[in-house]
Amino acid sequence: MALIGPLFLLGLLGIGLPIWLHRLETQVTERSPFATTRFLEPARKRIHVQKKLKYLLLMALRIAFFVILALLFARPVFFSAPEAVISEDTTHHVIVVDTSFSMSADGSFGTALDAARSIINSMGADDVASLYSAASGVTGIVPVTADAAVLSEALNGLAPGNGKLDLGVMVTSLNALIEQSQANFVLHVISDFQQSGQAVRFADMIPNVINGRPVSLDVVRVQTQNTPNFAVDSVLVTNRTTVEVGIRGYDSDNSERTVTLLVNDEAQQEQAVMANGTGITFAVFDDVAFAEGDNRIDIRITPNDALPGDDERHAVFDNSPPAPVLLLTADPESRGVTYISAALETAPRGYEVISQNIADLDARVLQRYPWIVIEDMGAINASLATAITEYVSGGGAVLAGAGESLLGQSVIPVLDLGINSTALRRESRSPITMIDNSHPALRESAGWGMVNMQTLPVAASGDDRLLIAQAGDRPVLIERAIGRGRFMLLTTALDNTLTDLPVKPVFVTFMAEAARYLSNENLLIREQVAESFLQLSRSGGASGQVYDPDGNSLLSLSDTTRAQDIALNKTGFYRVITPAGDVLVAVNPDRRESDLTVMDAQVLQNWQNVVAGTAGAGDAALAAGQETAVENTEEQEIWRFFLILLVIIVLAESFLGNQHLRVRTGTL
Amino acid sequence: MSNAQPSKSTPQTRLLDPSVLASMSNLELVAKAVVEGFVIGLHRSPKFGFSQEFVEYRQYTEGDDPRYIDWNVYSRTDRTVIKRFLGETNSHLMLLLDTSASMGFGSGGTTKLQYGKYLGASLAYLAARQHDAVGVMLFDDEIVEYRPPASKPGSMQGVIHILDAAQPSLGTDINKPMKRFREHVKRRGLVAVISDFYCDAEELLENIRPLAMHGQDVIMFHLLDKDELDPDIKQSTLYEDMETGDAIEVEPIYMAKAYREKIRKHIRTIEEAANGIRADHVLLNTAEPLDRGLHNYLTFREKRG
Repeated sequence: MALIGPLFLLGLLGIGLPIWLHRLETQVTERSPFATTRFLEPARKRIHVQKKLKYLLLMALRIAFFVILALLFARPVFFSAPEAVISEDTTHHVIVVDTSFSMSADGSFGTALDAARSIINSMGADDVASLYSAASGVTGIVPVTADAAVLSEALNGLAPGNGKLDLGVMVTSLNALIEQSQANFVLHVISDFQQSGQAVRFADMIPNVINGRPVSLDVVRVQTQNTPNFAVDSVLVTNRTTVEVGIRGYDSDNSERTVTLLVNDEAQQEQAVMANGTGITFAVFDDVAFAEGDNRIDIRITPNDALPGDDERHAVFDNSPPAPVLLLTADPESRGVTYISAALETAPRGYEVISQNIADLDARVLQRYPWIVIEDMGAINASLATAITEYVSGGGAVLAGAGESLLGQSVIPVLDLGINSTALRRESRSPITMIDNSHPALRESAGWGMVNMQTLPVAASGDDRLLIAQAGDRPVLIERAIGRGRFMLLTTALDNTLTDLPVKPVFVTFMAEAARYLSNENLLIREQVAESFLQLSRSGGASGQVYDPDGNSLLSLSDTTRAQDIALNKTGFYRVITPAGDVLVAVNPDRRESDLTVMDAQVLQNWQNVVAGTAGAGDAALAAGQETAVENTEEQEIWRFFLILLVIIVLAESFLGNQHLRVRTGTL
Repeated sequence: MSNAQPSKSTPQTRLLDPSVLASMSNLELVAKAVVEGFVIGLHRSPKFGFSQEFVEYRQYTEGDDPRYIDWNVYSRTDRTVIKRFLGETNSHLMLLLDTSASMGFGSGGTTKLQYGKYLGASLAYLAARQHDAVGVMLFDDEIVEYRPPASKPGSMQGVIHILDAAQPSLGTDINKPMKRFREHVKRRGLVAVISDFYCDAEELLENIRPLAMHGQDVIMFHLLDKDELDPDIKQSTLYEDMETGDAIEVEPIYMAKAYREKIRKHIRTIEEAANGIRADHVLLNTAEPLDRGLHNYLTFREKRG
């Protein structure tokens, strides 16, 4: 605590006033000699003691009043100081322990903890240290402290996780975490230093000159040799009955491995393969029986090696039957129907396209389909337009094309968008200039630039979301929300009359993604890397509930009402409950963590040298850094608390003083 | 009961005012000033023996002061006779002065002990002037000083010297000193007890009664300070007993009512005890002049003479 206006402390002399007044008052009870007290009554002696206590309390309150008043004027403030006292001569040991997946290899993490303890025990008397764990990100474990016991105790709580360490990311994170300190830094990085952990750019591994202080790098290697390892590298399901498993060997000799396939926790097949020690070997399981819907696939290889965690891999296979899609067309034999059907039926999810002649359509069948495709909006008559509007408003979805039949019309049905038909041939053949990649239907947008198309000159309204546009913001793909449903309009034909889009690869991708989006199927990525985030917003709307591989629910009831991002810290299967049904997500460690090839010693030496050189250049900024540190000390004025205390004291003094005066009046 | 009465300040009585006497350092001078002033105030009344009028000759008897033998008669008749004047009694006066700690109390310039010294010295001077033998005893809970009565030249100075040296000492226990005094006293005479009589009345009575039964005439000068008689405090006061050291805080309202009643009752009890043994009780306020005391003494002496 400090005082902003210490001169006001002179006001403390004011406490002499109540002391003097009370001395005057208490003089009456000083001893006076008297010839004899045999005729005096001592009955009021107890009252005298009580009164004396009241006097003392009253005096204390009055003194406190002056003290608080003086302090109020002196403006006391608290400074939020760092936990440990750090001066320019202090050495700050930043201890970073690698907790990535590869550290669970035999002996690595134990060696790392021993090395950390050794650093802590060798700290000087004036040294401070902070402890961090590093994997996919850097986590502060113990803030700056000089207490070695606290640091050692914290080490016991560390364990290797499932993340991947990137040294560039680690250094960048540390820059942000420890930039406020003004000590001399020694950055101890305790790791197995996998080659795969090296940053893409070497410069990313150089810490900033932290606050102008000298920084030195201490590389503590827990592994100096490459460790042989086999891992399940990939799981691929083809033809709905075949599982292809990739076994990758790292710096190993060729050896026989037994590969076991489990589907939904039941072992189905087992194979012995001679695994390539320095490459990939495939094992193929045929005639695998999958249940309908999501299937859990576990692949295990035995015997285990130094890193047993990657001897198992999880995958999810969606064995749902093809979903029916209604395709409205004026001519079921047209090329457009062929293109659309082919694209949808070859999509990974698989769709069964049911083409329906508009002339024969009973509009009530629309309600049977979660979404429909309209080949050409020009074929939609007024009554069908009304039915489609009702269908969409009720929650349906439509993907529609604008064929040549619209050229003679001035308005697109359902959407009521105006068309400038005369401008079609003159202005429409221009390149695509904008694609909204954030839209779920356009995540795979590569290839749109190769498409030649003529588009209808549609004037989009304010309610429409422009997803793809040509030069001059001419709409190519727009989306409009109608009631509870969605309507996507492609302003060109879905055959190859106005565009070559149907014969481009991007058409298949687009149709698959649009189908997933419009059918309200989940858009979750079914295989994720550990310590990444599951973006539940992609499942559409609220989150629903999420269960981790151990069956624990991760969201509270209130959290389930809004979209969340869930950290995937465990390997295995996460179960996500979405509006469209339960979805499984397989989580595995990053494949690169399985490669236990260590960084070259010379690279590490160069890293240390470069860090030391950079730090030396930062010495000139030392003074400026100190000033910054002082400015960063946050003042917290506490006059409000003193003011409240003052009010309480004044009230108490008034009450007690009044009581005391009442007693005196009665005795006179 | 004899109550302390406020005195009128005349030129004569002003000399007897304790505050004036306190400015005199010589106790004999004080006594002389008091007595001379007092006598002037009496207009040389023959009643009290201050006249030089010749009364008679009487035969010299053993024990008479030889100074008073009329040698002219002896030369003519060869008989030793004593020449007597009006007012002479040829008796003994024994002064008993209480020197306990409580006698050291005084709210004004004069403590009770000082007042008692003035009174004792004045009585001694007055007695010597009337050719009476004078003795003195100082006591607290023991006999502090004792001088038997004598009428020889210098006796009065010796008494005054003892009185002058008196200092307040310990607490009062009248039993022991009075018992020892009774052992010393042989001859009938007059005993003047000067004290604040902070003792039990019964106890006092038990000690004075034997003196009266042995033919002693006892006069009790009861000295009290004006703050003891009429305390006037405005706020709570913590009083410390000068003899025991005990402290008691008292409220003004108590001192104004209950205390006064108690001290009056105590005075009345002492007075009644004195009356019971035919002793005289004189209450003296130490803020008042000494003439009341001297007047009471002479009246008492005249009655008993």
